[in-house]
Amino acid sequence: MKEFSESKLEKILDTALKPARYTGGEMNAVIKPFDSADVTFAFCFPDAYEVGMSHLGIKILYHIINKQPWALCERVYTPWPDMADALRRENLPLFSIESRTPVRRFDILGFTLQYEMCYTNILEVLDLSDIPLRSCDRTEEDPIIMAGGPCAYNPEPLAPFIDVFQIGDGEEMMLEAIECVRKCKAEKASRLETLRALAKIEGIYVPAFYEATYNEDGTLKAFTPIDNAASPIVRKRIVRDLDKADYPDSFIVPYTEAIQDRSVLEIMRGCTKGCRFCQAGMLYRPVRERSLETLLKQADNLVNSTGYEEISLSSLSSGDYSHLSELCCALTERYADKKVSLSLPSMRLDSVVKQSLEEMQKVRKAGLTLAPEAGTQRLRDVINKGVTEEDLVRAVTDAFQSGWSTVKLYFMIGLPTETDADLEGIGHVAKQVMNCYFTVPKSQRARGLRVTASASTFVPKAFTPFQWQGQDPLDTIREKQHKLKDILYAVKGVNFNWHDPELSMLEACFARGDRRLADVLLAAWKNGCRMDGWSEFTNFEGWTKAFEDCGVDPAFYANRERGENELLPWDFIDAGVTRAFLWREWQRAQKAEVTPDCRKGCQGCGLQRFEGVCRK
Amino acid sequence: MKMLVVFEKHPRIRHIGHLDLMRAMQRALRRSGLPVKFSQGFNPHLLITFAAPLSVGMPGKHEIMEIPLAAEVSESEFLTKLNAALPPELNCLSARGVEDKHPASMASLYAAEYEIKIAPEGAALCDAVASFMAQETIMALRKTKSGEKLIDIKPLIYKLEVTSPATLRCTLALSEAATCKCDLLLDALCAHAGIEDRPHTLSIRLQMYGKDFIPLELL
Ligand code: SF4
Repeated sequence: MKEFSESKLEKILDTALKPARYTGGEMNAVIKPFDSADVTFAFCFPDAYEVGMSHLGIKILYHIINKQPWALCERVYTPWPDMADALRRENLPLFSIESRTPVRRFDILGFTLQYEMCYTNILEVLDLSDIPLRSCDRTEEDPIIMAGGPCAYNPEPLAPFIDVFQIGDGEEMMLEAIECVRKCKAEKASRLETLRALAKIEGIYVPAFYEATYNEDGTLKAFTPIDNAASPIVRKRIVRDLDKADYPDSFIVPYTEAIQDRSVLEIMRGCTKGCRFCQAGMLYRPVRERSLETLLKQADNLVNSTGYEEISLSSLSSGDYSHLSELCCALTERYADKKVSLSLPSMRLDSVVKQSLEEMQKVRKAGLTLAPEAGTQRLRDVINKGVTEEDLVRAVTDAFQSGWSTVKLYFMIGLPTETDADLEGIGHVAKQVMNCYFTVPKSQRARGLRVTASASTFVPKAFTPFQWQGQDPLDTIREKQHKLKDILYAVKGVNFNWHDPELSMLEACFARGDRRLADVLLAAWKNGCRMDGWSEFTNFEGWTKAFEDCGVDPAFYANRERGENELLPWDFIDAGVTRAFLWREWQRAQKAEVTPDCRKGCQGCGLQRFEGVCRK
Repeated sequence: MKMLVVFEKHPRIRHIGHLDLMRAMQRALRRSGLPVKFSQGFNPHLLITFAAPLSVGMPGKHEIMEIPLAAEVSESEFLTKLNAALPPELNCLSARGVEDKHPASMASLYAAEYEIKIAPEGAALCDAVASFMAQETIMALRKTKSGEKLIDIKPLIYKLEVTSPATLRCTLALSEAATCKCDLLLDALCAHAGIEDRPHTLSIRLQMYGKDFIPLELL
């Protein structure tokens, strides 16, 4: 077993890149005596510190766990490769930030799964912690490995590595889970008994208690519980009333700049727009808003406890928040003296109201971000992005009149039914935006127009109407990227960004993969793949070799279209939206039929089945 | 008025860079509710000046910063409120209220005292200290942005002694005119002792001085 040594650590910190990633000591970090807690929880965001420190979900759960006098939660991140190698060289185990306790000594190690491309980092963290990678190899001494977050809705590619998945909102479920572990520990229950007790909590999935069998064509044949504690369907958890849900009164304030280094107010959860590509929009249903009163109280707490210069509002669709203008006015007014500014990230362009734009502009003029996603009205109808060209023109003209001059446009390529005309359409949209700027009189507009168009590759996700659709093969994507590059080159003055399609292909495999992909993941990590989300560590050869060595064809997962009757690996999860609703939406999509925002009338997505959660 | 504040940067957070430390202090002041002064302009920020930035990786036992205030506050109230807004790893030891036109500590700075802990395998370095200091001149290669330069650091070393088997204590020049960093001293000492691989060391800044080695915060 590796042993922790303070002096060895101090020595390697002196040569590490950004050592402050590992040293903690930040304002508002919770310090508790490790040995006096009944349950100890190491919370890991499987990526670099500065990414993990920006994540709201962990802040909420860190607060909830530490609020219990009998529990303790500390943070862990994936060490940057230089540090990971140094730890291995010095034979040091991975340790928590707060008390520098080896991760293996915690009762629970929890991961949040925000994107598929962090999966190799999970194996890296387990390995650096001296914890057996596979659940079946773990002993009574090892922590229970938990995972939650959006990617837990298709947990299967991680099934052999994770002991317990939490599906859905974590606020209540997390508390039930740690209470359960506390009780089991007190009763000296075995690991197996503890997993059984956890499996009985609603929203919890213990993969070892299920068995998957396959048809000859490789598709899933059956997925069945093999332990009495496991139920055939795992239903996601929903927090009904956000005003009653716990929210941190302070955030840990990092010394080194995190990607999101500000106070964040979660104004609502869920989205009713029904964009068909958007997994978050389906997973976080129904819409629940926080009241103005709660938000102002939470803002006061955060402003006073963090000293942050900036507040941002978080939700999938902030423009739809019922009291947006009131909230923006109240916040701007309240903190004018303290010089705290307000910023609204990712605005949905159909709800950008001029009034709140002007309100914001008083304090801060960040770039305007708009996501038309597709270049033509037809394709926007296919994906149910309820945005018209007039909406776009109105929004950017308003913004230019109010002094904005930087606009970022987000598009996707490879959407279902896409043709060359849709690519041309992207060029047309970019041109329209430029024109809008020049129609605003010189005296009114700010100087230095900057328009950026980004095109990401569409990745079909579980629990969306596009879950049956195959992703475009790599060659097709590359071809489309080239076409688009030429099209946008012709629109003078637009910057074009795109991403490596390889990464999107891997994402597509894991987003809809089954248990058999776990071997590929393990092989890729053994081939040296880690920090896959960072371009400097891209190692596509490592992945290709892993697929080959395991005899797995990535096209089976990424590019294959699924049939109406195929059993999907995530079908055993009840995510709220029903398969019937998703299929109906998939059919409508192919006919370019739009489905209106369900604020205007229930579309029967399935959430109505949950007692009292949706206004329906 | 402005406050001359003495604070400690704990070894745990020694890797925090100067700008990050500055931001941490600015945020602490915001949390404290003290009547601090904001700069004018589009992006208002709090005005703090440090007597001398600490190198990344170095803790400080007795660091000095100046904080201009928009209203009168007693020294004890200032200290209590600021400490309540700081993590234990940053701790203010004293505060002294002076007039706005009180000379900046940065300008009065003359020297600093350090303790250098040497890893056990490098203890031989200590044996070389006496002969090192007996030299007429001590030539050292200083790396600057524009290249390397050979300089005599002897006049910049005011004191160098061995305080325990593997610990050195030294007072080195630190002023706008001339500075000798611990690293430069250690490189020269290693070269003198014929040690090729510099052993791992941990340097701590203990104190800063003005002319005649008067503690800087008393000036
Ligand atoms: S149940 Fe109806 S109202 Fe509720 S989210 Fe689903 S479609 Fe919308």
